[in-house]
Amino acid sequence: MEFRELLAAPGPVLLDGGMGTMLQAKGLRPGEGPELAALDHPDWLREIHAAYVAAGTQILFANTFGANREKLRRTGKTVSEVVSASLRVAREAAAGRALVALDIGPIGQLLEPAGLLPFEEAVDIFREVVLAGVEAGADLAVVETMTDLQEARAALLAARENSSLPVMVSLTYEERGRTFLGCGPDSAALTLEGLGADVIGVNCSLGPREMPPLVRELTRWSTLPILVKPNAGLPDPAGGGYDITPEEFAAAMAELTELGVKFYGGCCGTTPEYIARMAKALRGREIREIPRSVPAAVCSGTRAVPIDRVRVIGERINPTGKKLMKEALRKGDMDYMLGQAIAQTEAGADILDVNVGLPGIDEADMMTRVVKALQGVTDAPLQLDSGKPEVLAAALRAYCGKAIVNSVNGEEKTLSAILPLVKKYGAAVVGLTLDENGIPKTVEARLEIARRILDRALALGIPRKDVYIDCLTLTASAEQAGAAQTLEAVERVKKELGLRTVLGVSNISFGLPARPLINQNFLTMALTKGLDLPILNPNADAMMAAVRSFHLLMNIDRDAREFIDAYGQAKVSTTISAASSAPSAAPSSQRSLGQIVEAGLKGEAGAAARTLLETTDPMEIIDGILIPALDRVGAGFESGRIFLPQLLQAAGAAQAAFEVIRERLAGSAGSAAGKGPVILATVRGDIHDIGKNIVRVLLENYGYEVVDLGKDVEPARVVEAARERKAPLVGLSALMTTTLGAMKETISLLRREGVDCRVVVGGAVLTAEYAKEIGADFYARDAKATVDVARQVIR
Amino acid sequence: MNLLKTIPIGEILRYMGCPPDRADPVSQAAAERAAQRILAAAVPRWTWMETSLSPEEDGIRLSSGLLLPGQDLKRHLAGCGSAVLFCATLGAGVDALLRRAASGDLLEALALDCAASAAVEEVCDAIEVALRERWPAKYFPFRYSPGYGDLPLSLQGELLRLLDAPRRVGLTASSSHILLPRKSVTAILGLSDTPVAASSRSCATCPGRDGCLYRKSGGHCGIS
Repeated sequence: MEFRELLAAPGPVLLDGGMGTMLQAKGLRPGEGPELAALDHPDWLREIHAAYVAAGTQILFANTFGANREKLRRTGKTVSEVVSASLRVAREAAAGRALVALDIGPIGQLLEPAGLLPFEEAVDIFREVVLAGVEAGADLAVVETMTDLQEARAALLAARENSSLPVMVSLTYEERGRTFLGCGPDSAALTLEGLGADVIGVNCSLGPREMPPLVRELTRWSTLPILVKPNAGLPDPAGGGYDITPEEFAAAMAELTELGVKFYGGCCGTTPEYIARMAKALRGREIREIPRSVPAAVCSGTRAVPIDRVRVIGERINPTGKKLMKEALRKGDMDYMLGQAIAQTEAGADILDVNVGLPGIDEADMMTRVVKALQGVTDAPLQLDSGKPEVLAAALRAYCGKAIVNSVNGEEKTLSAILPLVKKYGAAVVGLTLDENGIPKTVEARLEIARRILDRALALGIPRKDVYIDCLTLTASAEQAGAAQTLEAVERVKKELGLRTVLGVSNISFGLPARPLINQNFLTMALTKGLDLPILNPNADAMMAAVRSFHLLMNIDRDAREFIDAYGQAKVSTTISAASSAPSAAPSSQRSLGQIVEAGLKGEAGAAARTLLETTDPMEIIDGILIPALDRVGAGFESGRIFLPQLLQAAGAAQAAFEVIRERLAGSAGSAAGKGPVILATVRGDIHDIGKNIVRVLLENYGYEVVDLGKDVEPARVVEAARERKAPLVGLSALMTTTLGAMKETISLLRREGVDCRVVVGGAVLTAEYAKEIGADFYARDAKATVDVARQVIR
Repeated sequence: MNLLKTIPIGEILRYMGCPPDRADPVSQAAAERAAQRILAAAVPRWTWMETSLSPEEDGIRLSSGLLLPGQDLKRHLAGCGSAVLFCATLGAGVDALLRRAASGDLLEALALDCAASAAVEEVCDAIEVALRERWPAKYFPFRYSPGYGDLPLSLQGELLRLLDAPRRVGLTASSSHILLPRKSVTAILGLSDTPVAASSRSCATCPGRDGCLYRKSGGHCGIS
């Protein structure tokens, strides 16, 4: 019997039950890991497996749950030794009566962005397990008990790329219907089916009675067969046990046939008796066939967004025509991009477009870094925007969830290079209605290209619902007849091909006055023609108002709840709000900028700086007003008259003023004039960055250009940045005794590589003596002291 | 059992580097706002186990065979035949909130970070109350964590493994021994049949002693 036959045969497939508790019952000591049972206690293991086979198990999970190099490190055994021994014992016990699965459990460390383990390292750890499993003759692989969808992705990818084994993937959820890391069954189903899992499911987690809502969610978002392997009820609060009997377990499991579950087993606390009872209860039961129709949707690891109404794609993370974004990309300033992401989602964007294409930067590397950083701060799904296959490949790999690829077009070279990536990573794709001959004039020709793209996608197995067509907006000032053509094309793609439509709307008004008016009207016209996914600036109130009005008028926003929520309190502004937080109104008080900074009045500082810029040179404002004001605040902090929170309020006000000045400087020749630069990093292995961020803002306030490399930074990256930017000063932060070693290593590497820079260090556990011992030039006890060091080094 | 009902604003301000009685209104408001947001984002979870204790020359050995090395803890647990090992976490949602805040306003970011630190202490206090109720006849020295005294942080991973913490509560340690989710604690609470000296956490055992701004200026944070 092969796995595919089991899958195709009608009726339930039986899995096994708990392993850890069974081993402990045999005599495994607490604290003795179960990983080595196949080597240390093969007889126990064989007996347990055999008991499950006797109970009716058709697929045994080999005892390889913890057989990855991270978990085995302390045992001194290799992955290959443990995997081959475990599979051998399971196969002997199966004796041809059951299949044997390579069981792949979590690594035990959190992946980026929740943790520090890089995604590719996780893939490599799983690759080693998969290769050992293939070598040892596993019939299939099971990825189970995952709480991080990204880790499940890593394991599934490793199995797909290094074997032809069927793969079942199962996550473990809490009662609130999410994993510890916040992933729901919706995101899990969309992502894992896209990535090529054969079976998805739920294990461990809860008891069988808690399964129905989770199973219903999985079947709502996926057409794959479902696996369920719950615990023997909920944990008994009094101690280590679980709260339901084998009979109760069996009865509850048998009811899951009504929901269409295909694979049945048990996890913690279940024994061969539970499985035998369950086998009996399932005998002769048919699995109810439930027709499934999965809606078009995209997702992040923690949020699914069905395209069942207008969904706004925020366009702001894109350097085209944006000076500050270009500067941020050149400097690798993630915070700027993260700020843009948060502002757009707060304004109502459902999905964020990400484009980092800029001459002179490594786009694939930058795209990967930006995608990871964005997924750390927002749960909005992303639209990965590049025409380069290598950039899209890197971004799709790093992205947790189901993304949108923007874009392919009718040209053969984009179709053949990009569509296979869309298929491999299970994304949705935007098809532009243009080809090597440009944008067709006629609607019919655009439809023809849309058809060509759709056919190619379908041939590769990309579902119809995941193909979105962009009929392309032409600038009305250049091609006035174009707008009507575009609108008609949207309507026909929707009606004749039944596809979702995307459209960037802001370009329509280029070169005309009163652009917001044109944009808003064009958007409304397009929505009535069936536009699903407008790409726009959500910070523009008029655009979001058009979308919200459309939802209200089309009876999608029931009882106008969302509309009233958005506008019930305030007047609608039809202008575009400033992207920065600085209000455009004149300062309400007559305070000077210096007084405003000292008082920490962030809301007034930007406007005051803007007023001053009309009469005063930008550098003079920095040197003559901001810095003296900050000095006075700093002196108060040093003398204990004011405290850190007030220092930060002043820094925040100075920052708001500085942003206005920086915009002006970025507009003049050259980039922002800054002293330095100063390289800042929290060292490898350390993730505490609030102290470093405070230092950064203070340095920027004092007019220094700061290159912030972020947290958990490899020594080599610090060296590279310091050398490339010819930085006179490098600032390193570490908050843990265990990461001071990485700080020392970073300084040593800077010295060994002969980088001509001074090094200042700080962080809670550092002392002046230790700073000296590890070769730092300066120790700074706080952010203010770091500024003093910078003033000494950089003149 | 509700482990986290409120977060004391005074503690948040203290962690922010501001004596509560001298807080300006803006900082006070930031601390209050941060407390509300952390309360909304936190999903506190914990797990525990009881262990015997056997003192040895180099430290103290648990029933699982794990040696907790160092002299401070051994001294601290003198007279305790057993102990409770526990861990607690505010969950990944708080980390996500802190990451989001890190790219925005500094005062808000600091207040949130400090509110989360105060919250995890609250959770541990609530756990300790529950554990004390469970052993009404016992006496308890204060709870002790890796990083205090000479107990190394490198124990975190082993302690979590023993507690089955990754599976039970989603708590892990990085290869650099940082607990993830960040706002989490592992601790050992001794159980003694005889009264223990009324010792409390002091600067000597405080994990923040080296970087403490209060100590640097010759003062004290006020936590006794």
